[in-house]
Amino acid sequence: MGVEQLMPAIAGMTWQHLVMIGVGLILIYLAIAKNYEPTLLLPMGFGAILVNIPLSSALTQIDPATGEAVEGVLNIFFNAGIATEIFPLLIFIAIGAMIDFTPLFRNPSLLLFGAAAQLGIFLTMMLAALLGYDIREAASIGIIGAADGPTSIVVASRFAPNLLGPISVAAYSYMALVPIIQPPVIRLLTSRKERLIRMTGNNNKKISKKALIAFPIVITIAAGIIAPSSLALIGFLMFGNLIRECGVLNKLSLAAQNELSSLVTILLGITIASTMTAERFIRVDTLIIIALGLFAFVFDTFGGVIFAKFLNLFRKEGNKINPMVGACGISAFPMSARVIHQMGQKEDPYNYLLMPAISANVGGQIGSVVAGGIILTLVPLLA
Amino acid sequence: MTPTVQTALLIAGIGIVGIFIFMALFYLMIIALDKYLPYQEEKPAEVYLSETEEEEEEIEE
Repeated sequence: MGVEQLMPAIAGMTWQHLVMIGVGLILIYLAIAKNYEPTLLLPMGFGAILVNIPLSSALTQIDPATGEAVEGVLNIFFNAGIATEIFPLLIFIAIGAMIDFTPLFRNPSLLLFGAAAQLGIFLTMMLAALLGYDIREAASIGIIGAADGPTSIVVASRFAPNLLGPISVAAYSYMALVPIIQPPVIRLLTSRKERLIRMTGNNNKKISKKALIAFPIVITIAAGIIAPSSLALIGFLMFGNLIRECGVLNKLSLAAQNELSSLVTILLGITIASTMTAERFIRVDTLIIIALGLFAFVFDTFGGVIFAKFLNLFRKEGNKINPMVGACGISAFPMSARVIHQMGQKEDPYNYLLMPAISANVGGQIGSVVAGGIILTLVPLLA
Repeated sequence: MTPTVQTALLIAGIGIVGIFIFMALFYLMIIALDKYLPYQEEKPAEVYLSETEEEEEEIEE
């Protein structure tokens, strides 16, 4: 009896499998040692190891004795949770329960940065189309620029399930790398004088509970009327927020923020890894997608900063917006706001940009979901 | 320019305008909600009770 019969996994191991196991180890290292999005990167890294050991029972395999397919647990999870979009939508309930829209009520005009900083999505989509991807794949790659993992997963699983693995890895990795990606782009686009701008807003303004309760309901109705296909995304986010704000479901709100979020995140991470098999992942496409993801994040930051500079052309001295705050219009919350606040403090220790930055960042969370909804509506319509 | 790039350009154009329209609409909704549902300071219990007593006295008179 040879090694092939005794240890078929070793016999079936190729260099591609070894590379993917290496990728899995790198993701685990980044999660543990660098604390980069550990809740997602660790399950994804472990899952990458799990699915790249030949004949892994975690994936569907053909039983050599009977010739029948034996379904692997990760394939079952994928079909039940990702293909149906249930996992990312459940995550939206959890995110909605975590978001406090009060900063947005204090500085509502900063909501517009949540639109400007989605520029990277659309530019990346055009670049991907120029590189030869079909429109569905290009839209799925572009949505990495939403800086919003669940939105990326929903769009990619609907339009390009074959690219789900690299898109998810790129989306979550770059979200973790916001402190490295954004500062150089911002410094390149702004002068020191602009970075020193102080922003005074209604940072202590009190907001009525009724308004905070009405907000998710009103937004859901408005979004549903304008773009019904965006309702699953926006509706679940706002449902989570209503649970938080209503004041009578505190137990459910806490459950959504903690237990639901944790459970679904574990399942989501490890299930996405089922798409990270060597055959699907070790391709030139993966490198291109990862490069395009970086392009998307850079141009998101560009869009936000340039929009702030554009608005400043029309604003009076003393009422100008610090252009760095524009970069917070991405969905990576609260990391982006924290990065901008720290950059502001580095230039001037007495400049407190945290509150306006958080307002723009909350706007980015809404903006990314709206962008996802728009892509989901437009692509089938125009493709 | 390939048809795919043309479609991408069209989606990008409509998408960018669309997202600004959405956010502008949400902005107006926040302004409206803040205007029609303003924050009202809750009265401390003692103030509320004394006011109620005064009202009751007025009714009795």
